[in-house]
Amino acid sequence: MNRRALWGSLIGFVLVVAALLGVNLATENHPVLGLDLQGGVSVILQPTEEVGEEDLDTVRSLIRDELESLGIAEPDVRVEGTNIVVDLPGVKDQAQALEAVDVAGIVTLRPVLLCQPGAISPELLESLPAGQEALPTADGLQTCLVGPPGGTGEVFARGSASPQIDQSSGRWLVTVDLREDGQAVWNALAAACFAGDVSCPSRQLAIVLDDVVQSAPTVNQPSFSTGVEITGAFTEEEVRSLARVLNRGAFPVDVEAQRVETVSPTAGSDSLRAAIIAGIVGVAVMLLGLVLYYRRIAVVVVAGLVVWGATVFSLAAFVSQATNYALSLAGVTGIIVAIGVTIDSYIVLFERLKDEVRAGRTPRNAAPRSFQSTWRTILTADLVSVMASAILFWLSVGSVKGFALYLGLTTLADLAVCYLFTRPAVILMASRHRDGRLVGLGARA
Amino acid sequence: MSVNETRGEAMAVGPTGRSRLFRGQTAIDFYGRRRLGLVTSLVLLVVTIGSLGLRGLDLGIDFEGGVSWDVPAAEFGVDAAADLLEEQGVSTDGARIQLRSSESGEFVKIQVEAAEGDRAEELRALFAAAAGVAVDDVGVNLVSSSWGSDVTAKAIRALLVFLVLVAVFISIRFEWRMALAAIVAMLHDVVISVGIYSVFGFVVTPATVIAFLTILGYSLYDTIVVFDRVRENEARLAAHRAPFADVTNISMNQVIMRSVNTSVSSVVPVVSLLLIGAGLLGASTLSEFAVALLIGMVTGAYSSIFIAAPLLAVLKGSSPEWRDRRWVRAEGEPLRSMVMGGLPAGRRVRDDDETPGDSRAVADAASVLNHAPRPRRKKRR
Repeated sequence: MNRRALWGSLIGFVLVVAALLGVNLATENHPVLGLDLQGGVSVILQPTEEVGEEDLDTVRSLIRDELESLGIAEPDVRVEGTNIVVDLPGVKDQAQALEAVDVAGIVTLRPVLLCQPGAISPELLESLPAGQEALPTADGLQTCLVGPPGGTGEVFARGSASPQIDQSSGRWLVTVDLREDGQAVWNALAAACFAGDVSCPSRQLAIVLDDVVQSAPTVNQPSFSTGVEITGAFTEEEVRSLARVLNRGAFPVDVEAQRVETVSPTAGSDSLRAAIIAGIVGVAVMLLGLVLYYRRIAVVVVAGLVVWGATVFSLAAFVSQATNYALSLAGVTGIIVAIGVTIDSYIVLFERLKDEVRAGRTPRNAAPRSFQSTWRTILTADLVSVMASAILFWLSVGSVKGFALYLGLTTLADLAVCYLFTRPAVILMASRHRDGRLVGLGARA
Repeated sequence: MSVNETRGEAMAVGPTGRSRLFRGQTAIDFYGRRRLGLVTSLVLLVVTIGSLGLRGLDLGIDFEGGVSWDVPAAEFGVDAAADLLEEQGVSTDGARIQLRSSESGEFVKIQVEAAEGDRAEELRALFAAAAGVAVDDVGVNLVSSSWGSDVTAKAIRALLVFLVLVAVFISIRFEWRMALAAIVAMLHDVVISVGIYSVFGFVVTPATVIAFLTILGYSLYDTIVVFDRVRENEARLAAHRAPFADVTNISMNQVIMRSVNTSVSSVVPVVSLLLIGAGLLGASTLSEFAVALLIGMVTGAYSSIFIAAPLLAVLKGSSPEWRDRRWVRAEGEPLRSMVMGGLPAGRRVRDDDETPGDSRAVADAASVLNHAPRPRRKKRR
């Protein structure tokens, strides 16, 4: 075994981890704590008109999905009385919270009479018949005269709008699916515009949100079966915001922010302190047991656990800042469980080493062989954990997603430490021992 | 005494069971006792299903919604609210008490499970009295669940996809019988953990669901570590006439110390969470979480050896490669020698064997392969 490569891996890995930890500590970049541990900001939303319980529940789910798609992780959204309460972890200031929860709205579909640059003359505005309105476009350069709403965003399937690239022309477009019960409404509007009917002489159909024309595509076919494609000279950003608008429009009712509250942690700071103290005591007792059992080689466990802890801390700090996945009490305890899994990789290795030494090999000879078979075991078992976390992260929502993220992180840290730290440490240590005292066996064994 | 003398010399078998366990020299007939584990688990499963049917699960406020009071916080605090609830016999498990502040002032928001809904007005009056305000100043509202059915539906969909992929992964890496046994053991662990929640009436919170997911991952992990050893021994013994029960027994005896050590190491921090964190420092959220994890870790380690391995032995025992092994499984000293790295020696064949001579020949062949190395000639000087 190439000793220089082993020392390189050992020292290199420790240096990288130490540097990352140093940078994180120096910049005070620590993991964002969850609602239960650190509190957050809560926004109370009220529907603008009276609605039933079912609609409120729909709005609750839509708001949560929208927040998550915007990268706000693990919001706690619930209906309270006739209000919707949105608790946001990790958000410090109120303006940021208000902006974040502004995800609901009613999209209306209105035929366009004409669009022109700049404002529309006041005389024309005064003579508008009932139902017609002059609205600015999203870029603010044009004003469009639109007819009465012919339908709402509810004609589209919820959350189906997505930005796409046309494979042949390479241009951005938005696709959105029609709901079965919305198809007739949409097709009636589309047919009128396609034919250039008096109600829609411009052949454009405006998508309006918050009294702003978000987009006014020209209708190119009289009827649509399941989905609609909106094409134009879009940039990627425009396409994304249009898709978001279409998805927002699926709300059955508009909601307004009533007030903003700061929320104290539910579990309280003593819970976190209790978890940390208990965790440290528990780990110390466990390490003491391992040192008594495995003797000299247990020094690798102690050092390895420190390196693993530093890696997890840095990863958690980085990920929670970058993605807004806050570390909740569930996450903290999940990490305590991960310690058990990490310790297992050492135990599997040491037990194998003991077997080999008992069978008569020298530690120097046994260590690389033992590591090879242990690595295969650990890799298989950890890959299942990584797979589990990837799938749960992809397909689930809410706190399950946060759990998956931290499970994946700790497992990856385990694999990295096992290969880059434990392997060289154990092999190098074993090369200096000629008898079983390395692994807690007698000198004779 | 020089080191050279001891090299290559097998270690003496320990005189006591404990010393043999530490030295990896046990010869426990796990396969022969497989019914013990299966029956124990069957009993636990029946209790679980019975309890789920009769009592169900106590779902917390995040799943079922509940009642919420807003109490002005001028002369009232979070601790006072918790004390008042406890005095009134309202469980604070899964309750959520927060201090909230906005421009209009500070107030304590107390949210408890729907089961206490009938007492909403009574408690409202008590809160008002404790805070020294008029009853009308205490707001009371019904709260919906925050963990909607869509969250559950998505989590279940994710789990199903995961199960399929895990089955495929283990089938490719190992084989389908191991995938089946590992997944059965995992489901067993989760069902029993859920059962304990039902039997003891613990409140199920989102943290509990996370704990169950942790259990699921831990159980699979543990089983795979055990199966990896099984596969190694399978390759070692495949060319011999020993039955699969031997492979199971050898592997279990070889990994028992690792399982004990790992379980103890993993459980110690959780027990510490339970005793120090929840007991002495009094954090009730921690205790329920720790209980779920503790149960999951113990059943996870147990099921790998007492559910997954026997199930695999039964499945493999009837597989084409292993069905026709004629030897009875080894016990006692022959098993011990194999656990310590030896190969199977000649053994009695099963009673239903028609050609006894056959095994004799093979047994000889095996022992020929396994003879001690010829001593090296001393060099002439």
